[in-house]
Amino acid sequence: MKRGTIILILLIVVLVAIGFVAFSFLHSGVSAKATPTSLEVMMARKARHMALPSAARALTNPVVASEENLRDGRLHFADHCAICHGNDGSCDTMMGSGLYPKPPDLRLAETQKLSDGELFWIIENGVRFTGMPAFSTRHSSQEDSWKLVLFIRHLPQLTADERIEMERYNPKGPDDREEEKQEDDFLNGATPAPKPESHHHHN
Amino acid sequence: MRVRSLALFFSFVLLAGVVLAHGDKKHVIGTIEKMGADAVTVKTAEGSVDVKLVAGTTYIVVGADKVAKPAKLADLHVGDRVVIHATPKPDNTLEAAEVRFSSAAATAASKPKP
Repeated sequence: MKRGTIILILLIVVLVAIGFVAFSFLHSGVSAKATPTSLEVMMARKARHMALPSAARALTNPVVASEENLRDGRLHFADHCAICHGNDGSCDTMMGSGLYPKPPDLRLAETQKLSDGELFWIIENGVRFTGMPAFSTRHSSQEDSWKLVLFIRHLPQLTADERIEMERYNPKGPDDREEEKQEDDFLNGATPAPKPESHHHHN
Repeated sequence: MRVRSLALFFSFVLLAGVVLAHGDKKHVIGTIEKMGADAVTVKTAEGSVDVKLVAGTTYIVVGADKVAKPAKLADLHVGDRVVIHATPKPDNTLEAAEVRFSSAAATAASKPKP
């Protein structure tokens, strides 16, 4: 096929896509409550794949998958990542469910089939036009990001004990701590019981 | 290369717009009134509330020593105190994400004796 024909086809596809986006915006505004269409999801994944440098994709994790490194990654994830991704990687959180596009369930194949290098690159550089920030300027060393890669690989096998430990490392504000204390007191026999369904839970 | 760049650019255009929105879980706090295979009824201070139990529901028991430990549905009984973090569904039902509970016996043991 001639180069001119390819560009023409591409132009038509782009015009249709722009029309679709315009219709979507007119129909539901720029609300983040919507769920991306399968077309958007497919194009986003393709775009991300194309944008990742092939050299980064081939990187292998230099951090040994020891119990200690895995725990470091787990607690780091609980402190910095779980607010969007949830301790279990399901992304069933206030932040995660409110984003557009919503972050993926890290336990599923769509994430797990990415190479270690791809996961590392995404943690370090973030993903533009999503809620995923770049952490390379925040982590004290690249080792922190590699330990997170170890933990993401472990997510599908996360145990209940590990999840309970992570809950202690989740960042919480004064209201959340007070609410948690009231609930613990209730479970330990305190009376009267707090009002039901009176609070919003943020994780 | 130009074709690839164009495709990449317009893919990002399609994805533009990141806005935070509010999502939440509800807390159901009370004692187990009724138990079924896939739902529980909780007696709360303001009436009875039904909560669905699903495969992804996690169970945590708080013992008399106040230590939280993993548990399973079979450990949950009528009369137990529960704090359920539940997701509201579009059909107005609640689906339990986490059930934290203490057994009636453990609660009695943790109360100071007169």
